[in-house]
Parts: sequence; structure tokens; C-alpha cells
Amino acid sequence: MPKASIVVPAFNCASTLPETLVSLRQQSFRDFEIVVIDDGSTDETPQIAQEHAQCDPRIRVVRQPNRGLAGARNSGIAEAKGEIIGFCDADDLWHPNKLANHVDHFDQSPHVGLSYSGSELIDEASQPTGHAQRPRLTGVTAAHVFKRNPIGNGSAPVFRRAALQSLAWRPRHERQRDWVFDETFRQSEDIECWLRFALTTDWVIEGIPGLLTGYRLNGGGLSANVDRQLETWERVVTKLRPLDPAFFAKHEDTARAYQLRYLARRAVRSSDASTAVTMVRKSMRSSTKPLLEEPLKTLTTWAAAHALARFGDAPLRRAQSLLRPMKTTQN
Amino acid sequence: MSTRPVILHIVDDTTPGGVMRVLEHLVTCPLVAQSAEHTFQSVRRDRPLPGVRADIIVSHLSISWRSLPKLISFRARHATTPLVHVEHSYTEAFTALNVPSRARFYTLLRTAYALFDRVVAVSEAQGEWLRNRALVRAQALRVIASCVNLDRFRSLPRSNAAPTRFGAIGRLDRQKGFDLLIDAFRAVPNPSLRLDIFGDGPELPALKSQAAGDPRIHFRGHSASPEAAIASVDAVLMPSRWEAFGLVALEARSAGRPMVLTKVDGLADQATDGVTTLKGHVASAWSDAIAALSKQAPQGDIAASTANAEAVFAEGWSSLISELHGEVEKQAA
Repeated sequence: MPKASIVVPAFNCASTLPETLVSLRQQSFRDFEIVVIDDGSTDETPQIAQEHAQCDPRIRVVRQPNRGLAGARNSGIAEAKGEIIGFCDADDLWHPNKLANHVDHFDQSPHVGLSYSGSELIDEASQPTGHAQRPRLTGVTAAHVFKRNPIGNGSAPVFRRAALQSLAWRPRHERQRDWVFDETFRQSEDIECWLRFALTTDWVIEGIPGLLTGYRLNGGGLSANVDRQLETWERVVTKLRPLDPAFFAKHEDTARAYQLRYLARRAVRSSDASTAVTMVRKSMRSSTKPLLEEPLKTLTTWAAAHALARFGDAPLRRAQSLLRPMKTTQN
Repeated sequence: MSTRPVILHIVDDTTPGGVMRVLEHLVTCPLVAQSAEHTFQSVRRDRPLPGVRADIIVSHLSISWRSLPKLISFRARHATTPLVHVEHSYTEAFTALNVPSRARFYTLLRTAYALFDRVVAVSEAQGEWLRNRALVRAQALRVIASCVNLDRFRSLPRSNAAPTRFGAIGRLDRQKGFDLLIDAFRAVPNPSLRLDIFGDGPELPALKSQAAGDPRIHFRGHSASPEAAIASVDAVLMPSRWEAFGLVALEARSAGRPMVLTKVDGLADQATDGVTTLKGHVASAWSDAIAALSKQAPQGDIAASTANAEAVFAEGWSSLISELHGEVEKQAA
């Protein structure tokens, strides 16, 4: 029985999967298995996964009709045999020491159920963009998870199996296996899971130093999704609110303001001025807490959105490329 | 009879509720009295703990950073008396929803529990949590599920028809989750159903305004007699957010009432025949469960699983006492 399992949900990712699998196979901690869930791909994904499985017995490939990211991760959890379970999306990369560091973290901290790390943002050519997610690592509460999502992206967290099991449930129509991620979400499934974990289990959520995940930014028309993203985020809030209405009454407006600020930044990044300005305005209206808690970042977002609207994206690009080496971002 | 050891239970929260009813049962139950003489003393939270004399002392105190020095001093002053702590409050779900700084909280619990010779969990689920989080040494941990005299619940008349009158019993506090229940009940369209909420507490105004406009929902106030409350309904709903044991569930089951419970902490242990358990707080799932319950006559003997509850409780205490008493005599010899 391997100590750890790494679940790789894979859907039509023939161009990135090989690099992902190589980064996992090169982990310095060696006692693990890789469970690739081919989620009904229509490209070469299953063949590529098979080829890797043939030369590395630690890789298993499971094929299923498309169920989405949450559904693929759930199938991976059901297949996983390790007492530690990590996730790596099929376009992201793991630093060679990532698994080793998380295994150490779990060994030393019996109360930690979810261990995560920061991420370096990479582009389509797997080159660092100069941006990174450097989240808070300790003293993480449900309010932090809700407002700032320190866990970050779907390839950052590693769980203790027992901790994941305490999230599992079986919807009435489900015949095959339990759910851990909510498969009715096609977006925001990460934050839904992390926040539910923080609100329904007593496991400690803690990060370890280092940028141990390479998180790939997809280029192109992101801002078209902004409204839908906001909608699913609201659905997450509506779903989880009954768990603790008092918690949501206290933190919801601030969390929404941060979410809107995040969407504004994404709109800026894809040069969509009107969306950026709208999101910034909505964010300020929802709560001024981000301005007090993170004045610099909130003001830069405001300034960038308005500069984009006033002058177009040329000056902003120049500024970005100048600032690149020193800039960091948090989700 | 004079050789029976004297067991003194100390308690700092004497407001009427589950803890006091379990204590009352401990000092009055003839089965429990066979192995020892149980007495209890209430102490004030704002004063130091008094010096007491007994063969075994059982704490039903609430543990906090503020009470920790008092416990340490109490332990020191009763160095040779076996001390037992019964944990009525803390659970996994309590921690999840109420404790931002978990590592610090576990340090408190581990330090406090280490002062006792034995720590008693009131449900298997709570015991498993104490063990898994290494809060109590495995050899010091015992599980004794809470109990009261259930005869008055067993003798309540039962209906063979599908339930129409639903009851929710407990303090009107966010712990009990009645806010979720009202939303869920309102979404069940059947006009012949009725929901009676028994209890008082800080959430009353909010719950009343939430229930406004639905004539099927009634607030009945605190009922001094739990058996009267249960007698007046066909089924009992318990959407608690955390619950170390869940005495109402045991009482309702022994009265043969079908139930819906959240699958949380000690309530998860009570998922016997006739009990539907739901994970997470999803109003639509509760609506579905209430609707399903209202369409089905109670099946089988729901009370059967509670037949031995008092005997198991008495046996748990008597074996704990003889174990501790034996250790003392061995040391004396």
C-alpha cells in the first residue's frame, strides 16, 4: 500500500498531461501512486496516460464518462489507496519536493488534515509569469478560507485520507461511490469544498513554506466568465450558509468584496475595462474591509481598472512588464 | 451496604437541561445505586472549587482556560482520590463551528484531561474524536452513553398512522439548527402537517419572524416535562449543528417516535431503525425527509434499540467504579 496517492483529473489535456506526469514521477518522496482519471477525453489523453502507466507501475489510469472536475476528483479519491491524498490538475506541475514536504508536515502535525503550499503561476509555455500565490500559512480559520482562500488552487492541497473521508456523503441518486467535491458545481468546486471542510470538520488547515505548485494560467477570454463565476460563488454561499448563518452574517459581505476584487483583477488582466470598473465598484459597495485590510492591493486594483478604462491597455501592459519581477498576487 | 464506595459528582451548570437530567438519573437510578452511592454537589463558576471528601470524584464541569487553574488546584488537593471527568460539551462539530484556534484549544483539552484518572465520553462518536485527536490517553478513555429513566417515554401511546405532527425540542440556540428546520418545513406544501417547537432561548424572535405566515408552525415555549412534549407529537426532528450525545433523540426513540437527525457527533450513534440521518445542513434534503416521513407509517419497533439503555449505562458506571476502586485498594495494600 503506497503512503500517498496523487489524483490527476484529466480531460482533453494531451498537450499538458505529459509534463504534469513527469513532474509527479520525479517527486523526491517515492512511496506513492498516481491515479489518472480520464474524464471522458476525446483527444489523445487516455493513450498518453497509458504510455506513462506502462513505464511506471505507480501510475493507474481509470476511464469514465465525463463527470467534470469534481466528479473526476471524487472517482480518484474512491480509487486512491494512500493515507495521504493530493490533487494535481492535468495542466499543473508539482515541485520535486512537494510531496516530501507535505508528508513531513503530516508526520509532525497530527491535527493537520489539509496541508497546502503557495504556487508559482506559469504560462502556456510552462514559464513562470513572475506572479505567485503566497498565502497565509498558519492560524488559518474558516473566515480566512472564505475571504482569502489561502489554499489557492486545486493542485495545491494535500489531504489526510481520514480528513477527506469526514467530508464524504452519498447523494441519493449516486450509485457508484461517495462524493467529497460537490459535482453539481462546474466552477467554484474548490472553494466550496475547502470552506465546507473548514466549517464541518475540526481538522487544522495549515500551509508549508515554498511555492511548490506550478499553477497554469489559461489565456484568452476569461472575462466572459466573470458573471457566471460570480453566480456560482453566490451559489456556494447559499448552499453553505445554513451550516452556520451567524458566520455568514459576519463575513459574507467582506468575502464578497474580495471575490469581486479578484474578478476585477482578472478583468484587468484580460483588458476588459468595463467589467473591471463594474466589479471594483461592486466590491467597494459590498464592503470597505478589503481597503482597510489590504489597502495597497485594493487601491492598485481600483487604479488599474480606472486606468484601463481611461487610457486603454497599452500603458498598463508596459507598467506590468516593468513591475513583473517584483510583483506577487494572491488569488 | 456500608461498603459501597461514595461517588461525588460535581457540576457547575445547574440550568435545567440534559446534563442535570443525566445527573438526576445517576443519583436516583436503583441499578446504578447497586455498585455505589452517588451524590452530587453544585459549585459556582466564579469561586474556587471546594475541598470535598468521597471515594471517587466525578467532574461534570465545563473546561476552559479560566477554569484550568482551579482544576489544577483541585487535583493537587485531592491527590489520592480518583478523579473522573465526563465531557458533556466538546465534540468535533462544536470545534469546527466555534473554535478558530484549534491547536490552542487542543492544548487546553489535553492539559485539562491529563489531570483526571479517567475521561468519560458520552457517545462513541465523541470518544472516537477524543482518541483520534489524541486528547485523552487511550487507557484513560471510557465511553458511557448518557441515559435517563426511559420508562415514562416507553409507556407513551404510539400512533400507527403516518406522522402529521412534528416536534422539535431544545434550547432556541444556533446549536439546535431550528432555523434550518423552519425553512425546510415551510418548503413542504402539505397543509395537514404541523410543527411544534418546544424551547426557549436567544433565537426565539428570529425564529418567529422566520416562521411568520405559516400557520402550521407553533412555538410552545419551554416544556418542563420532555415526555409531555414528545407525547404531543408523532415524530421528532433534530437538526443540531453539534451534539455530544443528544438526549432528546434517545427519549424520542424510546417513545417509538420516528426521527430525522443530522449525522453529526453523538447523533450519528443514534442512527437506529426508524431514524433518518442527513449529512450537512441542506434545507432541501430536510424537506424531502420530512415529506417522506409524513407518507409512511412507523415501521417496526423503533423503541427496541433503547430497551437496555439504562442497564448499559449502569454497567458502564459500575465497571468504571470497580476498576478505579480496585486501583486505590491495590495502592493501599
